[in-house]
Amino acid sequence: MVRERVIDTIRSFFKNQGFHEVFTPILVPIPSIEPNLEVFESELRTSKGEKRRAFLIMSPEFSIKKLLAGGIGNCFEITKCFRNEEEASPLHNPEFTMLEWYRINADYKDIMKDFEHLFLRIIGKDKLEYQGEVYDLSLPWPKTRIPDAFEKYAGMDVLKVSDEDFYKIYFNEIEPELLKIKKPYFIYDYPISQASLSKPAKDPRFAERFEVFLGGIELGNCFSELTDAKEQKKRFEAEKKDRQRMNKTEYPIDEDLIEALKEGIPAVSGIAVGVDRLVMLAADTSSIEETMFFPGKELFDL
Amino acid sequence: MNTINAGNITKGSFIIFKGAPVFITKAEFMSPGKGSPVMRIKFKNVQTGAAGEFTYKTGESVEVAEIEKKEMEYLYRDGEELVFMNPKSYDQVSIPMGLIDDQFGYLTPNLKCWIVWYKGSPIGATLPSHVTLKVTESPDEVAGNRINAPKKTVRLETGIEAQVPLFIKIGEKVQLDTTTGEYLGRVK
Repeated sequence: MVRERVIDTIRSFFKNQGFHEVFTPILVPIPSIEPNLEVFESELRTSKGEKRRAFLIMSPEFSIKKLLAGGIGNCFEITKCFRNEEEASPLHNPEFTMLEWYRINADYKDIMKDFEHLFLRIIGKDKLEYQGEVYDLSLPWPKTRIPDAFEKYAGMDVLKVSDEDFYKIYFNEIEPELLKIKKPYFIYDYPISQASLSKPAKDPRFAERFEVFLGGIELGNCFSELTDAKEQKKRFEAEKKDRQRMNKTEYPIDEDLIEALKEGIPAVSGIAVGVDRLVMLAADTSSIEETMFFPGKELFDL
Repeated sequence: MNTINAGNITKGSFIIFKGAPVFITKAEFMSPGKGSPVMRIKFKNVQTGAAGEFTYKTGESVEVAEIEKKEMEYLYRDGEELVFMNPKSYDQVSIPMGLIDDQFGYLTPNLKCWIVWYKGSPIGATLPSHVTLKVTESPDEVAGNRINAPKKTVRLETGIEAQVPLFIKIGEKVQLDTTTGEYLGRVK
């Protein structure tokens, strides 16, 4: 089974480098704040009939950051995550498997290297045949700064582009150019407004964030993690307002995480990678659904 | 001029893109982790058949192509064209094959379809949501490809293949969904 092999490879890749594998809760009292994502909410009841709100995680990030504040060091987790009200697409399933890893004393460029090596290890050769296209995986992969891409392909200053217009321009003008190379590619240094959990770059109008793609499929999203508790709280509050505005389920800010950041957290970079998509590429299937025994589409008649 | 929000564009509809009527072949709502949601569409220009793709912000307003639909019967394929007839007036029209595309395999003579007209010319055809086709070839071996609902691949009278339950035999008729190609039932 391709899925088993991919997950075994991920595990040995990190364990061989001395990373701790961590297991954080899937059912939590406060999930991560992401304005565009909707959460699954449940209710926890005690034997005495007391009630608590309970949520399925959208990402394990908040729990792992608390462990990092506690000094766990380099670590990774492979866990189930859940997102409600997702668009039906070949790349989405309401329940999916997420890989996150965190490297301390590292920045996002170190994580780019991790990703390149991990992906090569999973595929096992430097060419990937996927859905009739051949992708050259040999290193290094192209890395483009967002401001450079907007200037070169759209003739625009990305800082003057509103968040609303960003993806319209990206998909219409920029992505088609990046796809021509037939290699996986990184794009990095997003405007700071598009990266709530990442640290500002040397030029503070940008955030140290990257995304990695293959054939237009997003494989991972990475930040040099924000470690400033005050700034983090400010951004959470802004995102909480965004959730309200977008009629998403509301819940409080995770004060424990803010406290943990106050205690001090080492310089760290982390990434979230959709494991189902890696399996899909390794197995050359056109959707993640085909990599699952019981896809959500069949279970819930979506 | 009729407009809709780009977020409401659906597969199979017709809009005006850069002044030309296009047929939507794929409409995907996408909400990036950060930033605003977008609608990514793939389309075919109904006059040239050229395919393209574009991304709208979901709130953008998009002009709807003012189309008319007339019921006609499919007659036959003439090279790269498909010929349809109005059963009342016996008027015939030809539609480029490219506009029907992957649905060609569901067309059988006398099938009633909706022919789409734009400014006096036929620009496409909408098939019924399901059709009935006869099974002409079926494998003997019983090899299920799913744990929960074993199916096999059979060939149908129009030459296309379909996934049907194991109990379907040659000569039987099956009902298929013309959008997804899914098996809907056996017809007696």
